[in-house]
Amino acid sequence: MNGLIKLELVRALRNRKFLFFSVMYPSVLFLIIAGNADSTEKIDGTGLTLPTYMMVSMASFGALTAVLMGNSERIAKERENGWVRQLRLTTLPGHGYVLAKTASAAVVSLPSIVVVFVVAAAVKDVRLDAWPWIALTAAIWAGSLVFAALGVAIGYLAGGDAVRPITMITYFVLSILGGLWMPTTTFPRWLQDIAKWLPTHAYAALGRAIEQSRAPAAQDIAILAVFFVLFAGGAAWLYRKDTLKA
Amino acid sequence: MVPMTTTAVATGTPVVAFDQVSKVYGSVRAVDGLTLALHPGETVALLGPNGAGKSTTLDLLLGLKPADNGTVSVFGTSPREAIVAGRVGAMLQSGGLMDEVTVAELVKLGCALHPRPYQVSDVLARAGITQIADRKVNKLSGGQAQRVRFALATAGDSDLIVLDEPTTGMDVSARQAFWSTMREQAEQGRTVLFATHYLEEADAIADRVLVLHRGRLLADGTAAEIKAKAGARRVSFDLTGTIDEQALRALPFLTSIGVSGQTVRIQSSDADATVHALYGLGVYPRNLEVAGLGLEQAFVAITEAEEAKEATPS
Repeated sequence: MNGLIKLELVRALRNRKFLFFSVMYPSVLFLIIAGNADSTEKIDGTGLTLPTYMMVSMASFGALTAVLMGNSERIAKERENGWVRQLRLTTLPGHGYVLAKTASAAVVSLPSIVVVFVVAAAVKDVRLDAWPWIALTAAIWAGSLVFAALGVAIGYLAGGDAVRPITMITYFVLSILGGLWMPTTTFPRWLQDIAKWLPTHAYAALGRAIEQSRAPAAQDIAILAVFFVLFAGGAAWLYRKDTLKA
Repeated sequence: MVPMTTTAVATGTPVVAFDQVSKVYGSVRAVDGLTLALHPGETVALLGPNGAGKSTTLDLLLGLKPADNGTVSVFGTSPREAIVAGRVGAMLQSGGLMDEVTVAELVKLGCALHPRPYQVSDVLARAGITQIADRKVNKLSGGQAQRVRFALATAGDSDLIVLDEPTTGMDVSARQAFWSTMREQAEQGRTVLFATHYLEEADAIADRVLVLHRGRLLADGTAAEIKAKAGARRVSFDLTGTIDEQALRALPFLTSIGVSGQTVRIQSSDADATVHALYGLGVYPRNLEVAGLGLEQAFVAITEAEEAKEATPS
């Protein structure tokens, strides 16, 4: 399986478009949004400055991009062109394909998180102690697994033609409504009530709790856990269905 | 090493054993009560027209699809166990390749996934793809992609090699090169099973031919035997005056006859003898034509013969 992970990685790192959108784009977006913001003024009700707030949003957004975009489309296409079938004729265990995809996505999502942190610290003077930096990286990285599972599920749900629009819609709804691009406090009340149940909202809230040096809300952890079970269970079910059909 | 022939008495566990295997899609019985055994060292052609159930048979053999009925075993175990043990190398028509990586990288992966891999450079050379090793997989022609699939199927020391219409998309010279490589594989004592709809390919390569039609095994024998069975010829000619159909029906080796107007169409299992006897009747056939049956027609001939045999209790 290591061979496949390695090759998936080589391929991902070779794909400049994918690397730009998952690794560079979140930092660029961070600079656009937080670029002119005052590094001392706090956002209402959070005690965080805009750059600090947006840093977590964009790191989460970058990780989301890395794990969701590549995998769903690749899996749908490779199911269609028969590569998944070909792999079933090898010693690779059945779940090895999905694991390799997830593992290689995780490797790409790490730099997309770290680059945002580095840019935020260097350009916008975001300062944290060593421990929150580590905790933030770990939490955002681990939390991205929820969306990796979603990417796999979409890949097994959609065909080669439908996969891109489905992924894009999911991606933008999750990013924007989840408050990764702008604080959900700017939304109308009714939209805020919907947004707070989205996994991306809970995901970013996790990071902000670390920045605020407080324990993450139980509700956010529960939301992430429920979505993880939902996405991973759905992916497993769709995978098994696909295997019987192939 | 001399490849074993079908006449060799098979002992021990068969390489592949199908026992009353069926696979149904909706109302179509893609594979219908198939029973067969392949023995070590055989080179076997699975011959049949499109839709005969060849691909489904191979899918069942490789464990890609579960059988609805019956059992499939490979080296005495389940297909999956045989694959995990590295005993089976396979090349499917529907088998895709990983995009955006080079041929060499993909073959390296194939080797890494085999418990008894060969050297990557050897695998590339044997498949004739050393020159295109640095090319991206998605930039290959159909024939080149087939050779990459072949490389993946032979990345390690497998005992059984399964190929589904392997020469699709190859030109004549590539086809010949492919089969000479395949013969080497067989000569090393491997069992080779390939599906094809070319009678000539089966004839040239296989020492045993299985004829599949509508998911059932119609014939199982050497290529020569199958050819004799499918070797019926069509004889057609025009006669003037009254046609004595009774006398024509008595012609030797005649398998069927049709008379429309002054034209007579005959199928014969030995056209030479039939035509010779025709002249013996004292008639003067005009526009005499003798033609071989196409494979499709040969299958129909075999099918009809089989169905007639089934209808009359023996």
